[in-house]
Amino acid sequence: MSFLHQRWLAEQLPAWEREGLVTADAARLLRARYSVEQRAGLAQLVVGAIGGLLIGTGLIAVLAYNWDDFPRWTRLLFALGPLAASQAWSWLVLQKGEGAKPWLREAAAVVQTLAAGAAMALVSQIYNLPGSWTDLLFWWCVVAVPLAWVLRSHAVAIAYLVGIMVWAIAQAENRVSPFSAAAAADLRLWQPLLLAAILPLWPGADLRDRPPPGSRLVLAISALVGLLAVAAQVAFRPYDPHAPFFWLVMLTTVVVMLFPLDRAGIAEPLARKPHVPLGGFTLMGMALVATYEDPARTLVEGVGPALGLGWCWLLLAVGAGFAALAFRQGRFAVLAVAGLALVPLVAYPLTPADAGGWPVAITYSLVLLATAITLIGLEFTGRQGAARIGATLIAILVILRMADADVSLLVKGIVFIVIGSGFLGFNALISRHRAAVSGGVTA
Amino acid sequence: MRPAVAVFAVAVLAQWLVPLVGVLQHERVIARGVAVRIPCAAPDPYDPLRGRYLAVRPAETGAPAPDGMPDRAAAPVWATLVVGDDGLARIDSLTLERVSGPTAIRLVARPSAPSNGVRTVILEWPLDRFYLNERLATDADTLLAERLAAGTLPVAEIRLLDGRAVLTDLLLDGTSVRELVRRRRE
Repeated sequence: MSFLHQRWLAEQLPAWEREGLVTADAARLLRARYSVEQRAGLAQLVVGAIGGLLIGTGLIAVLAYNWDDFPRWTRLLFALGPLAASQAWSWLVLQKGEGAKPWLREAAAVVQTLAAGAAMALVSQIYNLPGSWTDLLFWWCVVAVPLAWVLRSHAVAIAYLVGIMVWAIAQAENRVSPFSAAAAADLRLWQPLLLAAILPLWPGADLRDRPPPGSRLVLAISALVGLLAVAAQVAFRPYDPHAPFFWLVMLTTVVVMLFPLDRAGIAEPLARKPHVPLGGFTLMGMALVATYEDPARTLVEGVGPALGLGWCWLLLAVGAGFAALAFRQGRFAVLAVAGLALVPLVAYPLTPADAGGWPVAITYSLVLLATAITLIGLEFTGRQGAARIGATLIAILVILRMADADVSLLVKGIVFIVIGSGFLGFNALISRHRAAVSGGVTA
Repeated sequence: MRPAVAVFAVAVLAQWLVPLVGVLQHERVIARGVAVRIPCAAPDPYDPLRGRYLAVRPAETGAPAPDGMPDRAAAPVWATLVVGDDGLARIDSLTLERVSGPTAIRLVARPSAPSNGVRTVILEWPLDRFYLNERLATDADTLLAERLAAGTLPVAEIRLLDGRAVLTDLLLDGTSVRELVRRRRE
C-alpha cells in the first residue's frame, strides 16, 4: 500500500470506529500495520521556531550595534547574560521531559542557539578578532547541534544543516583562492563528521526517528552540497585543464541518490525522499550536458586524475556498496540512473589521449535513451519505475539533437509537434495505467 | 543522570567555553601585553554577525623570505618588531622558529614572486578589522577617507604577549578614531 493510501486510511479510521464499521482492536491493528508519521502540531512547531528565531535574531542585531560607550565587561554581560537566561529556560523545558510541548522545545532551543551565537559574535567584536564570519559559523554549529538532539528541535537541526553547508562552501572557496588556501579546513575529514552529528536526532538512539519531509529536503541538499564542496576541494589543481571535479560530482550524486532506504522509504513517493530526485536530476542533467563534444571530453579526461585521489576510491566503494543493497531491494530505476556515472570510467581506457569527445558524447546519448526506456519499461512491467521521467528524458534528448541538427525549420517544427503530441498521449496512457494498477509508486 | 541531561550539560559548557576562552586569552594579552603601534593602510565593510568595522591592513605586507621557507605552502612565521624614532613598530627580523620577547608576533607567510632575485613572502597579520558602533561607523569611514586623502595613515595600537596580538585601538594622528568621530559629532 502506498504512503498516500496509508495516510488516507489513518484519516478514515476514527470515523469508521465511531460508525462501528471496524472495532477498536481492528483499528489498532490497522494503525500498527499501516503506520504513518504524526503531523499534528506542525503549525505550533513553526510558530515556536519563528518566535525563538525573532527573539534570538533581535538579540544578535542589538549586540551587533556595538555598544562601545560601555566598558568591555559590561558588554560581555550583555552577551553572556542572555545566554545564561536562555540556558536556564531550556533546562526548565528539559526537566519537563515528555510533558514539554513540542513548540516550547523548539522555541527554547532556537533562542539558546541564537544566544550562544550572539555571545561568540560579541566576544569576537569586543576583541576585534580577525577571520571570516564562516569561522564563527563553524563553532556556532558545533555548540548548537546538541540542542537539536536533547530538545529534539527540528529548527535547530535545519539551521545546523544550512550552517555546515555554508561553512563547507566557504572552505572549498578558501582552498581555491591563493590568498586563503592555507586556512581551508580539510573537508574530507570534517564534512562526514559534521553530517554524522545529526545522527543522534535522525534516526536517533532507537533508529526510529525519521526527519519530517521539509527537514529531509534540507538534509538532502546539505549532504549533496557539502559533499560537492569536498569534491571541489580535493579536485582543485591550479592551471590543470584535466579537472577531475566533474566526474567526482557524478560519483557524489550517485552516493547521495543510492543512500539506503528501508521498505517503507522505498514505497514512499519521490517528494518524501528528496535525495533520490536531487541526485538523479543532477546526474541526468550532467549526462545531458555530456552529450556534447567538449563537455564529454572534459569529463573523460578527468577520470585519470580522479582515480589518483583517495576520495574518489572512497566514493566508488561506498557507491558500489549502496548499489549492491539497492539491487537486493529491487530499486532498479535508481540503479539505471546511477549507471550514467559509469560511462566516463568505461570510456577512459578506450579513449586515445588525442581523441575528440564525439564517441563519448554519442555513447551518452545512447545510454540516456536506454536509461529512459528502462524507467518506462520498469513501470509497465509492474516494478518501481518512473515512466514520466523516462518520457521527459527522451523528449529532451530529441529536442537537443534536433536543435543542433542541420535540417530545415519545417522538419524541426514537424518533429517538435510529433514529439509534443506523443508526449501528451503517453502522459494520458500513464495516467490510465496507474489508475488501473492501484498502489503504483515511483522510484 | 539521564543522557539528555548529560548532553545538555556538555552543550551548556561548550557554549560558555568557546566565548570565555576567547575572553581569557585576549584579556590576558590586554592586561600584560606590550603596547605597540603599527602603521596601516585602511573602508567600512560589514560583517553579518558582528556588525560594522573598519578594515585594518598593516603597511608591512611583504618581506624577504625567512630561511627554510617552503616554496609553495604558507607557513607560520615569527616576527620581532622594533619601535622606531616615530614611535611606530616595524618588522626587524622574520624566522620560522618560534622566538620569545615582548615584541614577538606570530604571522602567516605565503611565498610570493621573487624580487630582484630575492625570495619574498606576503605576510598575513592577526588583525584585519576594528569594530565600531553602527552610529559612528559611517562618520569614521568619512573621516578616515579625508585623512587618507591628506596623507595621514591610520595606526593600529595592539597589545602583544607570547606572540599573540589584540587590536585595542585605531589611531589617526595619535588620537583614537572613536574619540575623533565623537568630537566631530558634537
